[in-house]
Amino acid sequence: MIFKLAWRNIWRNKRRSLIVLVSIIVGLIAIFLSDGLSNGMMRQMLFNQINLDIAHIQIHKAGFNRNKIVKNYLPDYKHVESVLKANPEVQAYSKRVYATGILSSANNSSGVIIDGIIPAEEAKVSIIKNSIIKGRYLGSGKRGILIGEKLAEKLGVDVGDKVVAMANTLKGDIGSDAFRIVGIFQTSSSEFDKIAVYVNSKAEQEMLGIGDNYHEFAIITKDYNEVTSIKNKLEAELGSRYEVFTYRDMLPMLIYQMELYKESMMILNIIIGLALIFGIINTMLMSVFERIREFGVLMAIDMKNSRLYLMIVFEAFILGIIGTLTGLVCGLLLDIPLAHSGINLSIFSVGLESFGIGAVIYPVLSAGSLINSVLFMPLVAVVGALYPAYKAIKLEPIYAINYV
Amino acid sequence: MEILKAENLVKIYHDNGVPVNALQGINLTVSKGEFIVIAGPSGSGKTTLLNLLGALDKPTEGKIYFEGEDITQKEKKVLSKMRLHKLGFIFQAYNLIPVLTAIENIEFSMMLLGIPDNVRKGKALALMDELGIKELANKRPNEMSRGQQQRVAVARAIVNNPSLVLADEPTANLDSVTASHLLDMMEQMNSEKKITFIFSSRDKQVIDRAKRLIILKDGRIEN
Ligand SMILES: Nc1ncnc2c1ncn2[C@@H]1O[C@H](COP(=O)(O)OP(=O)(O)OP(=O)(O)O)[C@@H](O)[C@H]1O
Ligand SMILES: [Mg+2]
Repeated sequence: MIFKLAWRNIWRNKRRSLIVLVSIIVGLIAIFLSDGLSNGMMRQMLFNQINLDIAHIQIHKAGFNRNKIVKNYLPDYKHVESVLKANPEVQAYSKRVYATGILSSANNSSGVIIDGIIPAEEAKVSIIKNSIIKGRYLGSGKRGILIGEKLAEKLGVDVGDKVVAMANTLKGDIGSDAFRIVGIFQTSSSEFDKIAVYVNSKAEQEMLGIGDNYHEFAIITKDYNEVTSIKNKLEAELGSRYEVFTYRDMLPMLIYQMELYKESMMILNIIIGLALIFGIINTMLMSVFERIREFGVLMAIDMKNSRLYLMIVFEAFILGIIGTLTGLVCGLLLDIPLAHSGINLSIFSVGLESFGIGAVIYPVLSAGSLINSVLFMPLVAVVGALYPAYKAIKLEPIYAINYV
Repeated sequence: MEILKAENLVKIYHDNGVPVNALQGINLTVSKGEFIVIAGPSGSGKTTLLNLLGALDKPTEGKIYFEGEDITQKEKKVLSKMRLHKLGFIFQAYNLIPVLTAIENIEFSMMLLGIPDNVRKGKALALMDELGIKELANKRPNEMSRGQQQRVAVARAIVNNPSLVLADEPTANLDSVTASHLLDMMEQMNSEKKITFIFSSRDKQVIDRAKRLIILKDGRIEN
C-alpha cells in the first residue's frame, strides 16, 4: 500500500516527475558517454602504443634501456627464444635489431630509428603490416625498407625511390647502406611515422656488423592483464644478464595518466551526482510543501512518522529506479552503435594523433562503471529525498491540517 | 459511562508575541454514546477545543482524561497510538488522500492498524454498503462531490471502531440536503455502534439535531 501510494504520488505531478526523470536520464547518459569515451580513449592510447612497437613485454640485454647502443645486443638470443617458446603464456614474439641513425634521400635527411625485423614475426606482434598505405609490406628481399608517411613527405620520396641509411657500427665507425622503399605506412601516431623505419634484420645486422645478433624481443602475451606475473617468471628463467620490461614499465606516463583520468572521471561523476541531489532535494521539497495538508491528515489518523518518511524516500527511490532503467537503455542504445562506429573527433585529430590516439574514438563501457552508475542514481535519489522527508515528519499535525 | 473529561482547559496561543486566549477554562464531561455539537461564532475556540480533545495539541493549563487516563502528560508516541486505536477524525475538507480511491482511503486506516490485506477489502466494502456509498468505492476524491468525500471521510473515521469521533465543521462546505445526509449517517453510526461523536458547527440545521449542545463564546462554555 505504501508502494501504491508512493507510485501514484509520483504521477500526480507528471511534469515535475518527468523533469526529475529526465535529469537522471541525462545525467546517466552523460556519465555513460564520458566514461565510455574516456575509457575508450585510454584503451586506444594504450593499445596504440602496445601495437605500434611496445608490445606487452620486451626483453633486452641488461642495461640496454639506459644506453641503447649497438653493442648492447642480447648475449644469447637463442636461449631467450627457447625460453619464450616454452612459455605457454607467450602468444607471439618478434626479434628486432635496433639502431638510431640517419636516413637520407636526394633532397633531405632525417634522424630515424632503424628497426631490423623478420617480417613474418613482426607481423604477429605489431600493426605495422596493416598500416601500409602505399606499396607493400617487407618481403624477403634484403634491400627493402618501410618508412612512415610523414618521413616520406619530409624526404620527398615515394615507393620505389632509393634512400641511404647510416648508423654507427659495432666497431665504432659509420656503416651505411642503400635501400629501396617498398612500402609507406601511416599509424595513429604522427611522431612514430616520422622516426621509425623498418628493414630486414639480416640487412641491418650486416650494416652494423653484429653477426646474427638481435637487440630486442617484443612479446605479445595471451592476456595483457597478466604481464607482471609473466615478466616475473621470465626474469627468473633468464637471470640477471637480461632485463624484462612490461608495457606498464615502459609507458609509466601513460599508465599514470590513465589513473589520473579515472580519478577525474570519478570527480566528474560526483559533480553530476551532486547536481542531481540538489535537483531532487528541490523537487521533493516542493512536492512535500504541496502536500502539507495531506500529511497533516495522515499524521492525525496516525500514519507513523517512520512510514511517512519511508513513503517520501520511496517516491524518490522509485524515480531513481525508473530513471536509471530508462537511462540505462538510452545510454546503451547510444553507446553500442558508437562503440562500433566510433566517435569521429577529427576536428581535434591533429592534436590527438600526436598523442597516439587516432581521430576516431570507440567508447568502451566497462562492466564496473555500468554497475556503479546503476547503483549510483537510486542512491542519489534517496539521498536527495532524506532532507525533504525529514521536513515532512517534523510537521505538527494541527499546523499541517490548517496549512493553506 | 464517562469516556472523556476536561478540567479547567486553558489554551493561550502566541500570535507574534501577542497572547490569544483561545480557551479560558473549559469543564466538560462526555459519556459513552453521546452525540454532541459544539456551536459558537467564528473565533470562539471550537477548533482549538476539538484539537485538545483529540490530543492533536496540548492545553496551556488543565487536564483531559480519556477513558480515565490523563492524556495531557503523555508522550507523543503514546498519544498517536491512542489516536490510531481509539479516535476517528473528520476535518472540514481534504480528509482523503487524493491519489487513493475511496475504498483505498478506508483501507489505508486499517493498514495503519496492521489489519491484514485480505480482511481489509471486505470490511471496507461492508461498511460502505452499510453507509450507502458502495458505488463510490473506486472513485478518487477529485471524482467525487464534497458531500461524497465527507461521507467517505466518515467511513474512514469509523472503520476501526473508535470509541470517539471528532469532527471539525464536517458539513461546512455542504448544501443543506447533503449535510443532512451526512448527519443521518453519523446518527446511524451513533445509535447502531454506540460511537461517541463530538463535532463543531455553525450551521443551524446541524445544531438543531444535536442531542447535546455546547455553546462556546470567547473560549468559554455559555450554556
Ligand atoms: N495557531 C494559532 N495561533 C494563534 N492564534 C490562534 C491559532 N489558532 C487559533 N487562534 C486564535 O484562537 C481563537 C480561537 O480559534 P479557533 O480556530 O479555535 O476558533 P473557531 O471557533 O474554530 O473558529 P472558526 O469557526 O472560524 O473555525 C481565535 O481568536 C484564533 O484567532
Ligand atoms: Mg474552526
